[in-house]
Amino acid sequence: MRSPRPKSSPSGATRSEPPRNDAALWRAYRQEIRFLTLFVLILGGGFAFLSLNPVNDGVVEPFTAGVARLSGVALDLIGQEVEMQGTVIESDRFAVNIRNGCNGVETMIIFLAAVLAFPSTWKSRLAGLVLGILAIQIVNLVRVVALFLTGVYFPEYFASSHTVIWQTLVILFGVLLWIFWANRFAAPAPAAAESE
Amino acid sequence: MSRGPHRRASSGRRQSTWSLRFARNVLLWLLPVVLIWLLITPFYNRFLTRSTENLVRLVESPAVTRLLVHDRHHFLITRTDVPASRGSLGSVNVSNTHFPLIMLGAFFLAVPGAGWRSRLGRLGWALLIAVFFHIISLCFWVQFIYATQLGSWSVEHYPTWQQNFWGLGKHLLDLPLKFALPVGLWAAFYLRHLMAQPASASPHLAVRKK
Repeated sequence: MRSPRPKSSPSGATRSEPPRNDAALWRAYRQEIRFLTLFVLILGGGFAFLSLNPVNDGVVEPFTAGVARLSGVALDLIGQEVEMQGTVIESDRFAVNIRNGCNGVETMIIFLAAVLAFPSTWKSRLAGLVLGILAIQIVNLVRVVALFLTGVYFPEYFASSHTVIWQTLVILFGVLLWIFWANRFAAPAPAAAESE
Repeated sequence: MSRGPHRRASSGRRQSTWSLRFARNVLLWLLPVVLIWLLITPFYNRFLTRSTENLVRLVESPAVTRLLVHDRHHFLITRTDVPASRGSLGSVNVSNTHFPLIMLGAFFLAVPGAGWRSRLGRLGWALLIAVFFHIISLCFWVQFIYATQLGSWSVEHYPTWQQNFWGLGKHLLDLPLKFALPVGLWAAFYLRHLMAQPASASPHLAVRKK
């Protein structure tokens, strides 16, 4: 008869025996299940909330217009003579319309869900959220400016730059920011610390 | 003078070193992962097109949907009960659905302190889950076009609640969930690894706790 081999959990912790039933499975993967459940609930709730027409019209659209205005100011500062019309930034050579998906809100919600789902104190979470969301918006501003310049000087690269490259970079930044926060600044919540 | 704060500072430096090493590794892995993604994209798009067609036809009666690979990145939606003269009913950018695989690959390969075998094993499981996600997402795309983009035909065949269901589902899968998937999968496989870093960062503290 073969002796049972130690089994690794998905997160790498080595255990002498595999979980035998639902209760053991829950105990073994409690942290992961708790995080993923909260993450998905906050994410789904956040996006469903933003999809409501009153929220979209009263909050998201004005926020997007603010992002467009700020991007217009930044472009003016670096010598691009642009004009603003609502969420449209235009110059003689190129025009871009800042819409949902270009305002950094997706990354903000993913970051928010990850921070809130991670076991930590509310003080750490609040500090992480304020600084993180600010940093994400700064990177998104750089993205809009860079995309506008790409449209002006390298229009053939605008589509791939818009869809693949910058979306990946902004989300990547948000995730790295969360991992940095979780690893460096997230103090363990009292309940989580006790249960360890 | 107490040695506690000194230890804490040392631990802090190590902790930040782990996350910075992770960030550096992610950036280093990005280029090779992008190259691999570019290489496999034409084949993967064909596979996704065929799999999506099979799944859509599985749930429709009679099975009339035909998805045709159009170019490197798109498939065209056609139906055998619609005259060929009408052309395609819509096109979907398949590559746009799965480019977050770049993030997924970079995240899973970049974890400092995890062995190669376990890294590749976990990446394999994550990719398998991602493939299912992509097929489901593309099915929602096709149904979204049927339910909302074909004018009177859509209204005739899809009641309002179904139009809302396919529309909301496509929106959630195409934007937030597509980008959140690599994060969620990484957390599922590496959350404990991440949470263990502060504890393992200072071996002196761990020994003293015993």
